[in-house]
Amino acid sequence: MSYYYGQGYPGGGNPPPNAPYGGGGGPYGAPPSAPYGGAARPQGGPYGGYGAPGQGGQYGPTPGGAPGGPYGGYGGPYGHQPAAVNIPPGVNPEAYQWFQTVDTDRSGRINLKELKQALVNSNWSAFNDETCLMMINMFDKTRSGQIDLFGFSALWDYMQRWRALFQQYDRDRSGTISGTELHQALAQMGYNLSPQFSETLVRRFSVPGMRPGMQLDRFIQVCTQLQSMTQAFREKDTNMTGHIRINYEDFLSGAIVRLM
Amino acid sequence: MACHSPYRAPPHINAPPDQGFLWNIFQRVDKDRSGVISDSELQQALSNGTWTPFNPVTVRSIISMFDRENKGGVNFNEFAGVWKYITDWQNIFRTYDRDNSGFIDKIELKQALTGFGYRLSDQFYGTLIEKFDRQRKGQVAFDDFIQCCIVLQRLTDVFRRYDTDQDGWIQVSYEQYLSMVFNIV
Repeated sequence: MSYYYGQGYPGGGNPPPNAPYGGGGGPYGAPPSAPYGGAARPQGGPYGGYGAPGQGGQYGPTPGGAPGGPYGGYGGPYGHQPAAVNIPPGVNPEAYQWFQTVDTDRSGRINLKELKQALVNSNWSAFNDETCLMMINMFDKTRSGQIDLFGFSALWDYMQRWRALFQQYDRDRSGTISGTELHQALAQMGYNLSPQFSETLVRRFSVPGMRPGMQLDRFIQVCTQLQSMTQAFREKDTNMTGHIRINYEDFLSGAIVRLM
Repeated sequence: MACHSPYRAPPHINAPPDQGFLWNIFQRVDKDRSGVISDSELQQALSNGTWTPFNPVTVRSIISMFDRENKGGVNFNEFAGVWKYITDWQNIFRTYDRDNSGFIDKIELKQALTGFGYRLSDQFYGTLIEKFDRQRKGQVAFDDFIQCCIVLQRLTDVFRRYDTDQDGWIQVSYEQYLSMVFNIV
């Protein structure tokens, strides 16, 4: 019996509009099945360690020192505030300044549009919407689509740690991460992935109309999602073989729950 | 007149808008007169019917579908496709949003997607509502509905490519799995 996913849009229903170029064929065809070498295998183990997501849950700290979870950062290294400024304890002073600047309506919360004013790439372009939304969702405990000062401070620390890594891995100081640089970065974070995989990601996430390279916002997005999806894979790979068998609906919900 | 002839062509219910009509719209949307409509220009021109800004991620998804040269926007020719795409979705959405509230609930979402041929569990529809309900109303607005359908379609397409024997199960390696999901983000 053949499994029916839908999407054939058989007679009855309203066919949804079709994208002109079909559903994203592109450069992501079936990856070659040959085993990939080359990546660091810091954790050893039978399946070569897929990498970064540490032992501490979805956004846990990673072997390569990738920034950890959204809720770990509260408190942080900024315990000592100058008494003169009325910064709540545990809030990064720099984040506090930015928060006051972009929260123009003084609502005490900032939305996507306001957040975009606070976050810039090395070429001074604003962060893309997907990365901002992803971070709002990570640090917005109330699911309101907005973040308060504490959430923003944690987000700020999270972003600064990624910024430091970004600068470290941008070896040629071009302001963007190339495919080779991304491969080195991922290997150091403990991922065992092929150079082609990094090249494909960089092509996919380069700014349209510019030479290939990943800006900070995309780097944060990709690394965070890589952690998250690796965790999803791990949960299915109970025998640690590096291969999973997964059905259609589990595949859909795994991707949808974790990606957005 | 041919109107009495039994052989006349059936009327076009959704006749494509003429070029002059589209050109007027294009010029109004292309605020900076660059000849290319950017994400933010399109976003400002679109309404989801609920007085909230149109989902920027949906805007990006739609533009990237029609932007052939990867220029970060659509020219007039490509805009014709964008226009048709959005009005087609609008017509679909309206048939399920029976009370014209601008939102569809879980049951209506299930009816819509079942109409497209998807067979998914009730639990999964709960997941969809939770993830695509940007306004936290327990329902899905027009812009989020489009994004939901785009994501489902892309995930289904990529799954299907691996499911060569069509049994609804795939076996994939770690890197294959990552490539599959990164294909759609």
